Amino acid sequence: MGRFWSTLFWSNPEFVRHRRAELRPVRAITVAAVVALLCVLLGLACWSYEQSMLESAQRGLENFATDAWKQRAESIQANFARNTWLIFYRWLVGLQGVALTFWTLFSCAQSVSGERDRKTWDFQRTTGLTAAEILIGKLLGEPVLVYFAVLCAAPITLIAGLAGRLSFGTVISVFIFLAVTSLFLGLGGMWLSTLLESRTRGVGLIGALALYGFTLGIFGMYASGLPGLAAISPLTGMIHLLGDRTDSELAGVRPLLFGHEVPWLLMTVLLCGSFSAWLALMLIRNLKRDYPEIRPLSRWQAIGCAAFLNFLIYALLSPGRLTDSLSGMTRPGWFPDDKSVALFAVAMNGLFLFLMGLATLTPQERLKVWRRKRATGESAVFADDGLPWPWLGISAVVAYALMVWGLLAWDHTLPLDMGTLQGAAIRLLLVLVFVTRDVLFLQWCMLTRLRQPIVKGVLFLCLYYAAAAVLTGLAAVSSQDAAHWMMALLTPVQVFDADVKGLAFPAATYAGLALQTGVIGGVLVAISSRLQRPMQAGAAA
Amino acid sequence: MLAVEDLTLSIPPGEIFGLIGPNGAGKTTTIRMACGLLAPTLGRALIAGVDVAQEPERAQKHIGYLSDFFAVYEDLKVWEYLDFFAHAYKMPEADIPARITEVIAQVSLEVKRDAMIRGLSRGMKQRLGIARAIIHRPQVMLLDEPASGLDPKARLELRNLLRGLRDQGATILISSHILTELEGFCTSIGIMEKGRMVRSGSIEEVIAAAASARLVRLSWAGDSLSAVEAKLKSDPRVSEVNLAAGAGTFRFRGAEEELAPVLAGLVAANVPVTSFGEVKQTVEELYMKLSTHEVM
Repeated sequence: MGRFWSTLFWSNPEFVRHRRAELRPVRAITVAAVVALLCVLLGLACWSYEQSMLESAQRGLENFATDAWKQRAESIQANFARNTWLIFYRWLVGLQGVALTFWTLFSCAQSVSGERDRKTWDFQRTTGLTAAEILIGKLLGEPVLVYFAVLCAAPITLIAGLAGRLSFGTVISVFIFLAVTSLFLGLGGMWLSTLLESRTRGVGLIGALALYGFTLGIFGMYASGLPGLAAISPLTGMIHLLGDRTDSELAGVRPLLFGHEVPWLLMTVLLCGSFSAWLALMLIRNLKRDYPEIRPLSRWQAIGCAAFLNFLIYALLSPGRLTDSLSGMTRPGWFPDDKSVALFAVAMNGLFLFLMGLATLTPQERLKVWRRKRATGESAVFADDGLPWPWLGISAVVAYALMVWGLLAWDHTLPLDMGTLQGAAIRLLLVLVFVTRDVLFLQWCMLTRLRQPIVKGVLFLCLYYAAAAVLTGLAAVSSQDAAHWMMALLTPVQVFDADVKGLAFPAATYAGLALQTGVIGGVLVAISSRLQRPMQAGAAA
Repeated sequence: MLAVEDLTLSIPPGEIFGLIGPNGAGKTTTIRMACGLLAPTLGRALIAGVDVAQEPERAQKHIGYLSDFFAVYEDLKVWEYLDFFAHAYKMPEADIPARITEVIAQVSLEVKRDAMIRGLSRGMKQRLGIARAIIHRPQVMLLDEPASGLDPKARLELRNLLRGLRDQGATILISSHILTELEGFCTSIGIMEKGRMVRSGSIEEVIAAAASARLVRLSWAGDSLSAVEAKLKSDPRVSEVNLAAGAGTFRFRGAEEELAPVLAGLVAANVPVTSFGEVKQTVEELYMKLSTHEVM
C-alpha cells in the first residue's frame, strides 16, 4: 500500500524525471539563494515603508501638533514591528500566489502539447504508467521549480505571518488556499494542453492566458446573484485572507450555499475541488488516448456534469436584492423572483447542452460502426458512439427535474408560481430543439470532407443566426408581427420573452418549434445518407 | 479515410515479421494499434496474450516500441533517461541499476553514461532510443521504420541487436519500405496495400504463392539446344521457354521437388547439364510484382 502511494506521488517516475531535470543541485541552490535574497530585499523594503510612515506621522505631529497626528504616530510606533511583519507577510504571500498560480497554469498548459512537440509523448504513452500516474507526475512535476521556490519561502512566510500576529490557522489556510487554486489551475492548463496538437502550442499559451484572465475576472461575481462563484478566483481568497477586512469591498460579502453564509476558503475548496475532480476525470479518460480519439467525457458523465452545473446554480444563488458592502445601499439583484431564476437556468442550460453536444460528437468511423451494429441489433440508440440527440434529451429532462427541485427548495424566499414551471418547460423544450438542431448539424459537418469541420460548422451556425437577424429586421419593415414570426420561426429568442405567462406563448413560438423539429428530421436523414456511403480507403497515418 | 481494414495477423513467438508496403499503406497505423497508441474502430489486438485495449498498461509492459524518430528528453543524463523508462515500465526496483548498465553496454554508450543527452550526437541519441525500447526486456518489439535516418554502420548494429533479441526469444514486428533492409533478416513478411494485407507468411510461402510459375535457369555443354527445347516443350507444366546457345530459362508450374524429374529427363536425353536451378525472387521483386502502386 505504501509503495502504491509512493509510486503515485513521491516516486512517481514522471515526477522524478522533472525533479531530476529541473532541480539539479546547482540550480536548486541558485533558486534557494535568489528566494532568500528576494525575501531579504522585500523585508527591507517593508521596513523602509513602515519607517517612512512613522517618520511622516512624526513630521505631521511636529508641524501640526494635533491629537489626531499624535494618535497616529503613537499607533504606528506601538505596532511598528507587527505592521512591518504583516506587510512583509502580505507581499510574500501575494508574490507567491501570483508566481504559483501563473507558473502552474502555464507550465501545465504546455505539458502534453510540449511532449507532442518533442515527439516523446508516444513513448510515454506506451509505458506501463497509468493515466492517473502520468497526470499526478505532470501536475507535481511540470511546475516543480516554482513549488521548490515556494517551499524555500515557506518558513519565512510562516514566521512573518506569526510575527504579524496572525493566527496559525490563518497562515495555514493561506497555504491550503494557494495549493488548492494552483492545483485547480494546473489541471485546467493540462486539460487545455491535451486539446492541442504540437503545432498549436502558441494557441495553448493564449488559451492559458485567457483562462488566467477568466479566473481572475470571475472575482467580479462576488457582487452578482451567484456570489459563491467568485471563490474560484485566486483574487477572492487572497483579498479575503490577506486584506484589511474592515475596508475591503469583500468585507460584508459572504458566499451563500443553499442560502447559508459560508467562509470563502471553504467555498474555494468546494468549488475548486469539484471542478478539479471533473478535470481530473476528463484527463484520466483521455491522457493515454490518441489525439483524434479524445472525447472529454462519456455521455453519462456529460449528463452528470450538466446536472452538477445545474445543481450549482441553485446551490449558490443569492435571491432578492443585493446590498452594497461599502455604502450599505441595496440594488435589484439577479433573482428577484422565481421566474428570473427559471429564465437564467434555461439560458444556462442552452449553453450547457451546446457544450455537451460539442463534447460528445462522434467521429465518423465510430458512428458508422454504431450504425452497422444498430442494424444488427448489437447497439442501441443510447450508445456512447451513437448520435448525440438522445443524450441531449436526457440532459434536458434532468435539468428540468433539477429546476423543479431548485425552485421548490427556494420556495420560502422566492414563492413559486406553477405557471413558472409550465413556462420553463416550453422554454427548455425550445432551447433543446434549437441546440439539438445545431449539434446535429455539426455532427453532419463531421461526416463531410470539410477540414476542421467543427470550426467551420460553428462559423456556418453564426452565419445562419446573422442571416436570421437580418431577415427579422427586413420583416420588421412590413410589420412587427411579421418580425416576431420570423424571429420565432428561425431563432430561440422567444425563450427570453419574460412577459409570457404559463403556456401562453404566441402561435409563432409553437410554429417555430414544429418547423425546427422538421429541420432536425431533415438533418437526421442527411446524416443517415452520409453514413450509408462506403468509406474511402486511403493514406493512413 | 480508411487506414486499415480487415487485418488479421498472427505472429508466433520468436519470429521476425517484416511489414512491407508503400507510404500510406497502413503499416504505421497497424503498429500503433498493436502498441495501444491507437484504438481500432472494430477488432482487437493481443500482445503476448493480453488485450491491448482492455489492459493497456499490462500489455505495454511486454512491448518495446521504436519509431522512425528518436525523440529523447534532452535535459536528462543518459542513465536518468533509462532509469525513467525502467520505472515507467514498472521493472523491479532491484533489477534497474544492473539492467541500465547492461543496455548501455549493449548500445555502446558506456562512456556517455553520465553525460547530458543534449550533448549527444544524433547517432548516439538513436542508440539511446533503442536502449529505451529494450530496457524492460520486452517479449514483443514493435518497430516502425526503425532504420530510417540511420547511417550504414548504425543499421548494421541495429540489425545485430535485433538478431540478438530474437535469439533471446523476442518476437519482432518491423515495418519498412526499404526492402533490402528486411531481406535475409525477417523470417516472415506481410505486404500491405491500401490498408489491407495483400500477402503474408514466410518469405518462401509468399513468393511461392505470388509466383505464377517458377523461373528456372539452366545451362549445358555442347550443342544440345534442340534436344533441350524438345524435352522441355514436351512437359505440359513448362512454359515461356527462352533458350540460346548453352543456356536459357523457362517457367515451371509445380512444386520445387517436381523439378527433379525434369532435370532427370534432360540427363536421360543425353543433355550434358552443367547447371540447373530455380531463380529465387528477392523480396523487392516480389513486392514490385504485387504492389499496384496506387498509393505511392
